[in-house]
Amino acid sequence: MAGSALRRLMAEYKQLTLNPPEGIIAGPINEENFFEWEALITGPEGTCFEGGIFPAKLLFPPDYPLSPPKMQFICEMFHPNIYSDGRVCISILHAPGDDPMGYESSAERWSPVQSVEKILLSVVSMLAEPNDESGANVDAAKMWREDREQFNKIAEKLVRKTLGLPSP
Amino acid sequence: MPVTLVDRLPLPNLKVYTAGSVLLLSVAVYYAISVTNDPNWRTNTTLQRQEAAVVGSDVESVISPPTVLAPVYAANDTRNLTEQVVEVMTFMMQEPLCMWSVINMAYCSLGVAGLAVQRLVFGTLRVSEAQRVKDKFWNYVFYKFIFVFGVVNVQYMDEVLLWCSWFTLLGCLHLLAQLCKDRFEYLSSSPQTARWAHARLVMLLVGILCAAAALMVAAVRWGLPAGRDTFAFMAAECALVCVPTLHVVARSVLRARDADAAGPAAYYTHLVFDSVALVTELAHVAHMVVHSNALVSMASLVLLMQLRHLLHALLARLRRHRLYTALADHMSRNYPMASKEEVEKNEDNCAICWEPMKEARKLPCAHLFHNSCLCRWVQQDASCPTCRRALSAAAPPAATLPPLPQLPPLAPLPPLPPLPADPADPAHPAPQPNHFFHFDGSRYVSWLPSFSVEVTRVRAPTAPPDASQLDAMARQVQQVFPQFTLNALASDLAQTLSPDLTVDNILAGRLLPRQHLEEPTSSVNTSVIPETATNGTSDTTTPTTTTNNSSTSSDSLDAGSSTPELASQHDEQMGESGAVQFCSSAAEREAALLRRKRHLLAAARARYLQQHQQRRQQYQQQQQFPQQQPRS
Repeated sequence: MAGSALRRLMAEYKQLTLNPPEGIIAGPINEENFFEWEALITGPEGTCFEGGIFPAKLLFPPDYPLSPPKMQFICEMFHPNIYSDGRVCISILHAPGDDPMGYESSAERWSPVQSVEKILLSVVSMLAEPNDESGANVDAAKMWREDREQFNKIAEKLVRKTLGLPSP
Repeated sequence: MPVTLVDRLPLPNLKVYTAGSVLLLSVAVYYAISVTNDPNWRTNTTLQRQEAAVVGSDVESVISPPTVLAPVYAANDTRNLTEQVVEVMTFMMQEPLCMWSVINMAYCSLGVAGLAVQRLVFGTLRVSEAQRVKDKFWNYVFYKFIFVFGVVNVQYMDEVLLWCSWFTLLGCLHLLAQLCKDRFEYLSSSPQTARWAHARLVMLLVGILCAAAALMVAAVRWGLPAGRDTFAFMAAECALVCVPTLHVVARSVLRARDADAAGPAAYYTHLVFDSVALVTELAHVAHMVVHSNALVSMASLVLLMQLRHLLHALLARLRRHRLYTALADHMSRNYPMASKEEVEKNEDNCAICWEPMKEARKLPCAHLFHNSCLCRWVQQDASCPTCRRALSAAAPPAATLPPLPQLPPLAPLPPLPPLPADPADPAHPAPQPNHFFHFDGSRYVSWLPSFSVEVTRVRAPTAPPDASQLDAMARQVQQVFPQFTLNALASDLAQTLSPDLTVDNILAGRLLPRQHLEEPTSSVNTSVIPETATNGTSDTTTPTTTTNNSSTSSDSLDAGSSTPELASQHDEQMGESGAVQFCSSAAEREAALLRRKRHLLAAARARYLQQHQQRRQQYQQQQQFPQQQPRS
């Protein structure tokens, strides 16, 4: 089982290397463990995360692509859909198995036709447009709704931090 | 092999050990030669032994005869070289110190040979391989210790030595076979077909098989006279080396013949080898338990534990097979194989494994997948992976089949869940209002918690939204897709009731919505996991993904071109580093990835600083000319 997962991951890695989406880099840090990747995501232009390079860790299950990977930012993040420990909460990362009868076949749940690239692009769009109803980080969601100015300031600080620049 | 462990343990490294062993051996040989130079050494040594035995007897008389006789024999020393060598050997076998140094040397040369084979076939071991070899080694040592002292109950030193040498040879083969298996899995997962590496691996595998056959012959030659039990033990040990080795050989043959990696042929090969290996080991361990006389002892306890583990593994394997056949049967009944033309017409790879399809199974929605890939997916979720259309007919078996559990080694087997009453009426694939999910953890492992989650769907009033709402939504969508008319969008929205779904439809190239895309707004009442709570609610955001992507990427492209020197620098560096190509070796790939990451970070930092500066300049200009219009 792990063999087919490895082959698929290798194919995805190749595709991501040869045709990388703008501002996104992903791959296994150490090929001894092909099931742990690191991804760099550029904050989308025109948003408060613009310009930042956000590193994240992707952990793939042995039965990938049947089950989705787990994604966790390894930099400090402040976002309504990201837990304070960095775990990302978006529907594309949720296994359909959460719903045992298979009725809740939301088109955006995980399916084997999804890929690392699609996940990362979804995360970019999540950075651009948080879903403030999802309560991964309640404080961030509240601030996003009520005090956008303050939220932008925090985001700006995070952006500078990821770039290794001192706060102004 | 033990060699790889040497550098992990606080032992002298192999060079020092080899040098020491060689030194020891040469000293021993020198001693042997110097003793046997004296032609009547035999009488000497025998006399010395007698002397040791007969303590307190007349020492003078015992020592004197050889000193008298020695010159007589030395004068007519007619032994030729071979005889002398034979004599040296015999002496060394008799003298305990010499013998130990010979044994030590044998182990040392085995280690060196193992290292040579490892260097030749595997190169440097990967960390995981080394770790597994280490685990296997200690596991092996433990069980063989139990075997020698707990089961066979050897009493004499020479018996221990014989068993030790037997298990040493076998252990080397075991470790090499394990290494081959790991390396084969790694090689077959890499995109490059390293033919030479595969060839070397196969050669080593054949070597292992030959050695195992030789050991089998040894078992027949020496084990059979020692009793049927001993022979059975030895034969089983040989078989336990052969079966996994043959398994790897069979897999590489399958691979060389380009067989579908998850097709029925491969599946049944795995099944046969797995079960043969398990059954052999089971019989072997059971034999050990029966053979060890004292049933209540530490050794038999350990053996019984292993027996239990093996039995569970075997049962789990058979249960998996039953599930597999049931599912395969269901699939073949409900979803026909695609015809040859259909497979040829479909140029895409299988969307699940991304590999080309020679034959495929066709779902009612006309999507094609590998049979085995689809089979594994349907066990998890009864829907088409591509379009998520529910395979309503597949619901009963998918619901009855639990996902194949990765059983922990000693976990008690969970009983097959009872067949639930047919939950889906195939005629009405409409979602049921409530879902009840119950997880009974104690069925798998005793300490796992049990919990249940009830998901209650509250249907939003399905009254059509009024025209102004529709219009507003249509405008919203039209901002992104100006090529569509408001009317078309509004009519689509009237059916989807959600701009996101309409956008989805547009992107998928079907402005006409699908029939079953009726998505009730659901509120999810959960009490247990936060993730479940967010599943329902976050569904609505993500359909916008693609639109955002297109806009952000074009934005960033614009930004890139607005800073020409940055862009050109970027191109140069990319050209220099050659990062755009996918290297064949892992180390190169890792280095290239690191380079690309650094480069991305550096470029982002430079761009950020530049924009920051521009902004500051703008700000200063505003400060200077406050009458001008403020920047947007």
